[in-house]
Amino acid sequence: MRRYFKALVLILVCLAVLIPFASNAPDGLEKVAEALKIEDNEPIWKGLMPDYTLPTIDDPYLSTLLAGIFGTLLVLFVAFILGTALTKLNKK
Amino acid sequence: MHIPDSFLSLPICTFMYVVSAFFLIWSWRKARATYPRSLAPLLAISSAFIFAAQMINFPITYGISGHLVGGTFLSMLLGPYAGILSMTIVLLMQALFFADGGIFTFGANVFNMAVIGGLSFFIVKLLAKNSEKSGWLYLGVFTASWFSVVLGALACGLQIGFSPFFSDAGGIAVTVPAMLFWHVLIGFGEAAITTTLTSQLHRLQPAVLSGLAILRGRQNEKIF
Repeated sequence: MRRYFKALVLILVCLAVLIPFASNAPDGLEKVAEALKIEDNEPIWKGLMPDYTLPTIDDPYLSTLLAGIFGTLLVLFVAFILGTALTKLNKK
Repeated sequence: MHIPDSFLSLPICTFMYVVSAFFLIWSWRKARATYPRSLAPLLAISSAFIFAAQMINFPITYGISGHLVGGTFLSMLLGPYAGILSMTIVLLMQALFFADGGIFTFGANVFNMAVIGGLSFFIVKLLAKNSEKSGWLYLGVFTASWFSVVLGALACGLQIGFSPFFSDAGGIAVTVPAMLFWHVLIGFGEAAITTTLTSQLHRLQPAVLSGLAILRGRQNEKIF
């Protein structure tokens, strides 16, 4: 279990270091839509943290970092629940 | 490559939900029969890593960016079945909490990234199956991760091309070549990162690559 904890810390540290260097350019699909002049309408469901930012925090770095940490821990938690349910029947 | 809700028509969304549901049930059954109890923490940490990695867009060229999708990498860590399930969780959380990828288009996104990514495992298997040499493994991983992005883009191009919102722009005759053009480039980013991560883990922590053990037909040994 200890090495999983180490891996998690490593993931969060890498995230904190790399966020400022992440590119804001459109990705492949957005570029295609842009070139064909397709509007990306306001989404029906905006989520709690649209564009990986916390709406209540002004500082862009901190806002994205907190959203990223929240998302990473959320995925960790949900995937662990799923993994436990998936292997419930196996004894090993 | 996360498709927002406004890009696909309802029939295509429904169709992709059905296709993806079929693959999810299939991989759930396969995974339940294959994996030991100790999979859960590895599944959790792998999914968390892919979520974090997908936040970091790297610039490609001509003003576009890409990020690691990670389907092939997950399939090397977890095998194809748990890899598909793991990526589906990442996509679900992105759609629900971060509005990255739509709710109606969720089925399409699961197919383009989770299913194609997980199944790219079999490209690695095709190339590296009979060889214990790591060179063939790395070539397999490089090829599989490049294809996972390009085939995902092909599927995405077809889905948006058949939707009426893109028909004025020319439909699939325009969307498919456009999607392929960019993702042939983005695929090399994916392949470079995936091959680097896999080869370093293979060197330093080979026990973590349980997908590799499944690939070599040794999943019954103590690998997790």
